[in-house]
Formats: sequence, structure tokens, C-alpha cells
Amino acid sequence: MDETELFATYRASGDLALRNQIVERYLPIAAMIAKKFVGRGVEFDDLYQIASLALIKGVDRFDGSKGVKFSTFITPTIAGEIKNYFRDRSRLVHLPRRVSELRQSVRKTADEIFSQTGRNPSPCEIATALGVTEEEVVTAMESGGVVSLDRPADGENEDGASYYELIASPEDEFEHLERKDAIRSALKDLTEEERQIVACRFGKELSQSETARRLNVTQMHVSRMERKILEKLKENLRKSAVD
Amino acid sequence: MLLTMEFPLGREIMTTVRLAVGGVCSLVGFGLDACEDCKVCVTESLLLLLHAGCGRAKIVFSREDGLKIEISGEGGGVPAEKTTEEEISVALLTALVDDLVTEHTENGARISFGFKGL
Repeated sequence: MDETELFATYRASGDLALRNQIVERYLPIAAMIAKKFVGRGVEFDDLYQIASLALIKGVDRFDGSKGVKFSTFITPTIAGEIKNYFRDRSRLVHLPRRVSELRQSVRKTADEIFSQTGRNPSPCEIATALGVTEEEVVTAMESGGVVSLDRPADGENEDGASYYELIASPEDEFEHLERKDAIRSALKDLTEEERQIVACRFGKELSQSETARRLNVTQMHVSRMERKILEKLKENLRKSAVD
Repeated sequence: MLLTMEFPLGREIMTTVRLAVGGVCSLVGFGLDACEDCKVCVTESLLLLLHAGCGRAKIVFSREDGLKIEISGEGGGVPAEKTTEEEISVALLTALVDDLVTEHTENGARISFGFKGL
């Protein structure tokens, strides 16, 4: 069955087996086009998958009666899908396609008006030229740009504080200091051996057996001491909280 | 005119040409995607000229509403769409560039297109 016949039969019957047959016949084209977009940070397999999905959609949309060969029709369709994928993937914050396209048109129109008039156009002028509302133009203009947290917050001074440094810490630093101080004073009342056990178990995060091996005692001893130390620490902390 | 390149046409030189095209795109301020698209278009044009039997090629880059690229092949015929690969090359070029023109020259063929790089 030639191409025209195949598509005509599929359009008439809607037979899925026939559609699969068409898709399989043109999969090499999908692979060929996907290969042309390799080297942009996306694996061939992913590109091939996108191209194959575009091919399936294209088979359903193709109208052979218009005199265009399927390969001519499907190539821009697949290339378009792959390019859309790259565009969507290249932004950390995904903009809706309409906003993204409007952003490009706004920039282009602004450049054109600037070259004609020699001055920067207002959003109202751009909106009139593009046939959209002023609000849409402003939204499109404001929607771009990802800012690095390492960038100086005042925009110029390289030695100044970065955005990252200005972000509030999720943990209250004073609370953290207070807690540290309470633990330090609670540890003061421990014996040398008890302090060594705390250092091994909670500082170095060793197991009871490893701690026992290092301190040359039994694991049972470490376990008993640990219970005793925890009780002692709890009591000390309770006392310091009351004071 | 921004830059002209002349070289013997063969598959082994494609990588070098693609690198040079990337450099030109960067020079005119194209983004990564536009730059990659431009590389694809130049490669496809050269492949079409190669299939048409051209032995040498010349690429002229000029700044004209983005980038205007003229690729001439010497010693061959006009690129045709005889094989699927050639059909795909032409369809891809049509999809990716503005105003694709393929024409006869005295001693071969020329493919030219504009690239706005948006």
C-alpha cells in the first residue's frame, strides 16, 4: 500500500492497527530528526520519545488530500515539538507558552519602535502595536529573568551582601545559642568518663559497641552509663530552665 | 559582511564548520537555542549541497535583521529532494529559518536564509 492509500484507508476506518503500522513505517524519520537535535543537553532517547509522540499526533492530523508528502508535513511538526521541549526545559521557572511568546514579541516590537523613533516605547505603545492589553505587556515584561542568589543585593557592589545572605535563617539563631549554652553548662557536671561517652555516642555518633571498644569497657557498661548520663543531663537542664 | 569561510566539502569538516557557526552566533548575541538551530541549518544546507555533488563550499555570514547566511556550493547541481534524508533536510530548513532560497549559480548552487535568533 503506498502512502496516499495508507492514509486514506486509515482516515476512513480509524483502525488503530493501521495507525500503528503507519507510525512504525515513519519512526526512522522521527529518529533522524531527533538525531539532529542531539548535543543540547538532552539524551537522544528522550528526543526520540518526543519525536515519536509528535509523529503519532501528526499521523492523526495529516490530510493526504492536500498534496503534501507526509515526510514534508511531519518534519516541521516533530522539529516544533522538540523545540518546544527545549524552550520549556531551558527555564528554571516555567512560563506559560503564551507569556513566553508574548515576551519575545514585546522585546522585538520595543526594538522596532526604538529604531523608528529613537526612544524607548511605553507599554501602551507596545500594547497597541501588538493588539494586546497594556496589562498583558507589563506581565510579559515582568515575567522574565532568574536572579542568582549570589548576586550582590544592591546590584553593583561586588563586596556587598548577596541576596542569599539577606534571606532570613529558618532557625532562630538566638534560640540556637541559648540551647548550646544550656547543653554546655549541663555537661560541666559530668565526670571525665561520662563526657567521653557523650563525645563518642552523640559527637562522633558511634555505636555502643564501638564506643565500648574505644574506651576499653563493655557494651553493657556503655549502655548503663548512657541511661545514667541522660537522666543526669535531663535533670541539669530542668534545673537550669527553672533558674 | 561579517565573515566568509571557504572549504572543501566533506562530512569530515562538518564539526569544524559547526564550531565556527557557533562562534559567529555568539558574536551576534544569539541565545543557546538559536545558536544550535543555526548550526543545524548550516549543516543541513551543506549536506544538501554535498548530495548535489558540490566539491567546495563557501559560507558568507552577514548582519541583516539578525544573521543572513549564504551557502554556495561549487561543482554540483541544484539540491533536490530525491531521498528521504534530503526531504527532511529541506523540511527542517523551512521549519527553522526565515526566507529560505535555493538557486542555481554559474558553477553550482546557493542556499540562503535569514536567522533572527529570537
